[in-house]
Amino acid sequence: MMISNLVESFRLAMEALTHNKMRSLLASLGVVIGISTVILMGWLLSGLNSVVNDTFNSIGVDMLYVDKWQWAGGMSWDDMRKRKDLTEGQVRDFMEYRTSAEEIIPQLNNWGGSLTAKGEKYSGLPFVGTTANFAITSSGTIDDGRFFSEQEERVGSKVIIMGSKSFETVFPKHDGIGKIVTLNGKKFEVIGVLKKQGTFLFDMLDNRCYLPLKAYKNLYGSLGSYTIAVKAGSEEKMDQVRDEIRGNMRSARNLKPGAIDDFSINESKAFSSSIDSIRSVVGIVGYGITFLSFFVGIIGIMNIMFVTVTERTREIGIRKAVGAKRISILFQFLFESATLCLVGALLSFVFCQILVYAASQILPKYIEALSFLKPYLPINLLLIATVVSIVVGVIAGLLPAIRASKLDPVDALRYE
Amino acid sequence: MENKKKIIEIEHVSKIYQMGSEKVFALRDVSLEIFANEYVAIMGPSGSGKSTLMNIVGCLDTPTGGKYDFEGEAVSEMNDNQLADIRNRKIGFVFQTFNLLARSSALRNVELPMVYSNVARHLRLEYAETALTSVGLADRMTHKPNELSGGQRQRVAIARALVNNPSIILADEPTGNLDTKTGEEIMQLFYELWKKGNTIILVTHEPDIAKHAKRVISMRDGLIEKDFINETQFIPQ
Repeated sequence: MMISNLVESFRLAMEALTHNKMRSLLASLGVVIGISTVILMGWLLSGLNSVVNDTFNSIGVDMLYVDKWQWAGGMSWDDMRKRKDLTEGQVRDFMEYRTSAEEIIPQLNNWGGSLTAKGEKYSGLPFVGTTANFAITSSGTIDDGRFFSEQEERVGSKVIIMGSKSFETVFPKHDGIGKIVTLNGKKFEVIGVLKKQGTFLFDMLDNRCYLPLKAYKNLYGSLGSYTIAVKAGSEEKMDQVRDEIRGNMRSARNLKPGAIDDFSINESKAFSSSIDSIRSVVGIVGYGITFLSFFVGIIGIMNIMFVTVTERTREIGIRKAVGAKRISILFQFLFESATLCLVGALLSFVFCQILVYAASQILPKYIEALSFLKPYLPINLLLIATVVSIVVGVIAGLLPAIRASKLDPVDALRYE
Repeated sequence: MENKKKIIEIEHVSKIYQMGSEKVFALRDVSLEIFANEYVAIMGPSGSGKSTLMNIVGCLDTPTGGKYDFEGEAVSEMNDNQLADIRNRKIGFVFQTFNLLARSSALRNVELPMVYSNVARHLRLEYAETALTSVGLADRMTHKPNELSGGQRQRVAIARALVNNPSIILADEPTGNLDTKTGEEIMQLFYELWKKGNTIILVTHEPDIAKHAKRVISMRDGLIEKDFINETQFIPQ
């Protein structure tokens, strides 16, 4: 019985709303804007979250990176530039000290190298010289082919493992494994491709190509500052390992007691604070707009519902005369205003989906950092928005519906 | 008549409206009994209290004083929801201005009382079709009120009044908005309904309409002036 009443109420609501389409549309505009902000904000935040997760995963949650540079915020670039490079000698010393870390992986970086393949030259590619144990880190996960072996590392074999994006660029047909590419006039064999990492804003991890450290030094020399990746082994060991390697690096750099560190220990956690600040800005602005538009939306719907109730006083009288109880009239108008908002929500789903799809297709072409934008709205967001719209409708419709339900049948029937 | 079932029993009912600081006695002291299958006309000029009496008899309003029983149920003690329930199950209304839902088809209008008595949809349709057929509108079911003539609209209203098998049909100036000929047709329909066993209460100020009833109650100044059997009941052809 209850179900047939609900179906009936819904039918009534749809009848009433379609009777006055333009008015319903305009009345729901506030709600459309409100729901749209909720959806777009949620979409943006979920995009950001997935970027954060990608970044954490590619950096590795149990990884520490000893570097001249601090990767995320908190220090001026100039101060970092003045620090001395992490030299080969320091790295060698550092690696000899005792530590409970699982692996220590030294790396040398050349951010702007070039590579020639099939007569075509590709510039601006980042090259990394590292050791064979890099393969155990999450950024070292192989998609196709293999990583170089310790043997190849020892002798400095001319082999190269390419990042997914640079591989895609150089070998669009994915037929690069086993091919020869030329770096600084030396021939290297492509033996593997890394798994796609996802990009964290401007750091294009997927472009990086990896060489055995020795081969790298033969090619580019051993100057430049080392980065030392340290795999703690588990998140629980992070604090202990961080303390150990800090001490070890201070010794390797011959720092006096009391002197401040002239190096940074980077980890994925460092990024969460900068992400959090982006997230909270988006959040505050978004929630502000959302609150305002819902407020305006609710007032708009409430107003139109009061008008509707007045216009339909006689109808209410007729319904009461033939036996409608207060609760039936109350539900009828609550349903109507909830349906109005629901229709608004559906409209904004369509609108937002179009917008989001367009944005995700167009924006990253101009701003690579926005490539995290997803082309589809997450389904849980739509469910939340649906529920929110119904709640908004019920809130907005409550007072008008109560007024309608309390009308006296004699007066209502006499209403002109 | 005494052996028939008593439907309405009104004892010393009064209705007082507060108009600003002034008290208006719309009904002073009215007692009345109506039995099953009576055809009663409540007559009187405007201001006589007949509309107030109709509202009370129709359970749209409750009396200020006195006692009103409808088929043994104490209406004068009821709250809004109980009144709505009585109206729904026991009373069929026919109004001067038809009072149909303008945006709904004849069929939907006739369905309306059953919506509120939770009759299943397919049954509602079936009953509504039967009721419309019985008032001669089998071919007008999907028409909306503005596509129907005045007489047809009133027939829809009568079908709506009949559809829940009410104990009484309460008609308030049912021919007031109709021309004489159409009005006569409607009165003929009421006569037929009465002959079929329905109880009909007409509220009117026109003697020409009241003459169709078997019993006439005439009101003046919130009191029943006369209550008599109409020996010359007009039988429509």
